[in-house]
Amino acid sequence: MNAVFTVIFSVSLLALTVIAPENVLPALLNGAEKSLTMAVTLFCIYAVWMGISRLAEKSGLSRAAARGLKPLTRRLFKTENEAANENIAMNLSCNLLGIGGAATPYAVKAIGELEKENNDFAQKLLFIINATSVQIVPTTVIALRTAAGSAAAADIFLPSLLCTAFSTVFAAAVFIFGKKKWRT
Amino acid sequence: MAYIVPVIFIAVLLFAMVKRVKIYDELSAGVKEAVKFTISLIPCLAAIFMMCELFEASGLADGLTNLLSPVFSFFGIPKELAKLVLIKPFSGSGSLAYLNNIIEEYGADSYIARCAAVCFGSSETVFYISAVYFAGLKQKKLAAPIAIVLVSAFLTTVLACLVCRIM
Repeated sequence: MNAVFTVIFSVSLLALTVIAPENVLPALLNGAEKSLTMAVTLFCIYAVWMGISRLAEKSGLSRAAARGLKPLTRRLFKTENEAANENIAMNLSCNLLGIGGAATPYAVKAIGELEKENNDFAQKLLFIINATSVQIVPTTVIALRTAAGSAAAADIFLPSLLCTAFSTVFAAAVFIFGKKKWRT
Repeated sequence: MAYIVPVIFIAVLLFAMVKRVKIYDELSAGVKEAVKFTISLIPCLAAIFMMCELFEASGLADGLTNLLSPVFSFFGIPKELAKLVLIKPFSGSGSLAYLNNIIEEYGADSYIARCAAVCFGSSETVFYISAVYFAGLKQKKLAAPIAIVLVSAFLTTVLACLVCRIM
């Protein structure tokens, strides 16, 4: 990220200095201002979802969901580690609900647990599933579209579901079958 | 479709009431986490947005987009999405910025904006996730998983543009 940022930032800065030096400072200030506007929008989204997900967590609903997913995670990730299974299940539930921010801590915990048993396969599979996104409800996007005055903000629900399912299944399948081939 | 979110909220609320959770206290506690989380994002957001503005103002963004648009249009991806697709693996806040720009410029219900929304929702910031997940662990060979994810993200973009045309 640092390398990419430095390259884009410095090349753009140089180019803009050559073309229109008077626009450099306004561009930077404009960017900073936009970041605050964006932060306000994001805060509204997170406030609602983290508030609700806190209720789900405290009432034990999240844990119940995690328990429901456990047979699946145990088979898919090939681990008997209880803590790892629970964290993976929580991570997947948060992802499915479109609360990516809440999902990250669980994934980090799960990967730490898997490290203890040197389960490289499960760590990478969890990474692939998270990196391809597995949302059922794309909450951030729907909220953004609502804020922009969309007539039917949720009508991207089906296309999103289709695409996100495709990306995850495709990547996971390539990884799992690729792994099998290389081993034999 | 409009019922999905309200129904989730009602279910969570009912369950919490049955379990005698202090709704007001816990909901505020959740918002408190959101405050912390949002504040922790601001530094990155500000840095990325400054970069995006420079990138735009210098004309490099348009140059790159024009350069790559033949490749993208070959796969049926509108050239307006090029920037979003290119920045997504590196930065969630950067791609969010472009998604927001697209929605504002073309209108939330336009084909381009719907395409952008689906692309945004169906991929993640691969490099950020790989850095966060595997921080503090001994060296991992992540090249293959990252490559798989990037290829799948590109194919998904192609699929998203197709699907949005039909649905």
